[in-house]
Amino acid sequence: MPNIHTENLRKEYREVTAVRDVTITFPTSTVTCLLGPSGCGKTTLLRMIAGLEKPTSGEIYFDNVPATSLEPEKRNIGMVFQYPVVYRGLNVYRNIDLPLAQAKLSEGERKKRIEEVVGVLDLEDSLEKNIGDLDSSTRQKVAVARAIARKPQIILFDEPLTNVDVNTKVQLKEALKKLTIQLKQTIVYVTHDQTEAMTLADQIALMNQGEIVQQDTPRALYNHPSDVFGGWFLGNPGMNFIEVHVEDGKKPAKVKCAIFPKDIQLPDTHGENRVTLGVRPENVRILKAKSETAVRAQVIRKSIQVGGQYLLLLKIGDVVLKSKVPPKLGYGVRKEVWIEVLVSQVVVFGKNGRRIETKLEK
Amino acid sequence: MKIDSGVFAVIFGPPGCGKSVLLRLLTGLETPTEGKIFMREEDVTGVPSGERSIGYVPQSFALYPHFKVYENISYPLRLIGAKKAEIDEAVKRAAHMLRITPLLEKYPDQLSGGEKQRVALARGITKKTGIYVFDDPLSGLDFKLREQLIDDLKEMQEALGATFIYTTSDTLEAMILAEQIFILDGGRILEHGSLEDMYYTPGNIRTMELLGFPEANVLNGELLQRDGSLICKTKLFDFPVKPEAGMIVKEEHREVFVGIRPQDMKPGLKRQKDTLSAEARIILKEDLGGEFIVHLDINGLRLLSFVRQDDLYLLSDEEITIGIPMEEIVIFSSEDGTRIGRGGG
Repeated sequence: MPNIHTENLRKEYREVTAVRDVTITFPTSTVTCLLGPSGCGKTTLLRMIAGLEKPTSGEIYFDNVPATSLEPEKRNIGMVFQYPVVYRGLNVYRNIDLPLAQAKLSEGERKKRIEEVVGVLDLEDSLEKNIGDLDSSTRQKVAVARAIARKPQIILFDEPLTNVDVNTKVQLKEALKKLTIQLKQTIVYVTHDQTEAMTLADQIALMNQGEIVQQDTPRALYNHPSDVFGGWFLGNPGMNFIEVHVEDGKKPAKVKCAIFPKDIQLPDTHGENRVTLGVRPENVRILKAKSETAVRAQVIRKSIQVGGQYLLLLKIGDVVLKSKVPPKLGYGVRKEVWIEVLVSQVVVFGKNGRRIETKLEK
Repeated sequence: MKIDSGVFAVIFGPPGCGKSVLLRLLTGLETPTEGKIFMREEDVTGVPSGERSIGYVPQSFALYPHFKVYENISYPLRLIGAKKAEIDEAVKRAAHMLRITPLLEKYPDQLSGGEKQRVALARGITKKTGIYVFDDPLSGLDFKLREQLIDDLKEMQEALGATFIYTTSDTLEAMILAEQIFILDGGRILEHGSLEDMYYTPGNIRTMELLGFPEANVLNGELLQRDGSLICKTKLFDFPVKPEAGMIVKEEHREVFVGIRPQDMKPGLKRQKDTLSAEARIILKEDLGGEFIVHLDINGLRLLSFVRQDDLYLLSDEEITIGIPMEEIVIFSSEDGTRIGRGGG
């Protein structure tokens, strides 16, 4: 299976630049999710790879072979769109079979492949049904089956779960996860939904304003965002950001922040005199008793969040922090608590919002 | 129903449960077939909408495209003939609260989606009054935008000290905003109370199902007497039952619903006296970032578990053992859905 590489790929529409000189490699046999807010350029990038949009400048390569001017049908790509593309007059079996027949596969091979995909997608009971009689979620499953049965080398998904109901969403996620492990194709999957991306991806390419911000595994992206955007965009709620002053003239530089009982050292400041500390809400822990590493905080707001966790709004001096704590640790509003933030779980960002390669030390 | 003054009250229920109609009745945009509405201890049932003195943010709030932001926000006040100085003060206060002061001289089509939404919220709170009503104002917005606006709404309510009445069908939104919550289902208020009471001691199976993300697991069970104690029998396990105080478990309660929150299906929890355990196969791990929703197959049943990122290591095998603390299991009548007991002897 080929990898996909883009070199300075750019797309302009009149005054808007949708994709800004993107250079990225989508590795072979890997699921890469292009994740970002609406309007970030992810769909445009995908459509250029598919050949459905012409780049303003830049190149696309499949396994180092230039493909920028290749006709879409010559790219050996399967594509699943937000709205299922299926033939209304035909039944489910014929819909899946049609691209296989066009590829001139043998009768036996076609049957085998259909059985395979139908099994994973749980479509056995719908095979004889007419497409027109199916709900939109099942139709989307048929569209997925059609795209993958042909075993193209590259499969592109453009927000395929946006218009399916909640139950089908889980079912399709499950099926896609299974399929992608089995198939070993090169898959690029566009979504704005972080859970979908984190669940399905081997790696995520996070996009913002036409640029790739970071390409990493879901865990690395979540825990070590290389840009404040990733810290903010991922997570519910996203990271806490605290701007602090760096005392200059000393080496290592010292940072004072209300969430730490003592000054914290910053071995390498990269010349910044103000940095932003990023802390995930679940990494703001509440201790049962006083400790050397803890500071006093006041609970100013409290609500219940996903999985029965409490989301607390805490005030420490003039810093306000969100904290996500396990269920059943009831902390009343206006109560004082001891909180601890591990220095190792703090990400440091510079003035331009990019992570500074440095480790905070006690 | 009664909504206390100065609280953030959320009317929560699935689409079509009647929450919008209820809200329109409160604002006077609909006339009740029967019943009365009191505000500030006065009967307002016959009072026209414009005279009820409430701020209202409808679900879809079109801004006037030919008005600047300032004029859009001040519109409700101009409508009631407020003085210029008063209008100016109210607009500036609302704009400051929603951080849109720099936008006041712009036109709606120069704003982003989130900015437009803030302008609409600001317009809803310009009227100086003690009661503000919001009809599902964040539905359809992407979730990062909602996260910000939810914070804004909480801050607004705290700053104004006013009564906010807010409808939504989104579970997480309801839970994050509500102090007082009213569970609406099929046109009726099932129950109401503080968020924590409703979440931890739901009086009805529907409350447990609706109020919680990921959704609670519900099993079918059967109550029976065994060696003089009350036992609940399910497809997965049998366990002792502690009936609600004052609740006589009668013959007609034999069929029951058994509710278990996903976070109480604990991977790796050691078998103890007060826990049940089950062998499960992991079907899918949904990654929320800081936590995971785990889809399980237990003896042919599809159930959900929930773990925080710290406990991810407990999910490294495909086959895992789940422990369930018995006292977290809630038992409901299958007849009328009311809570009749909990697990534990």
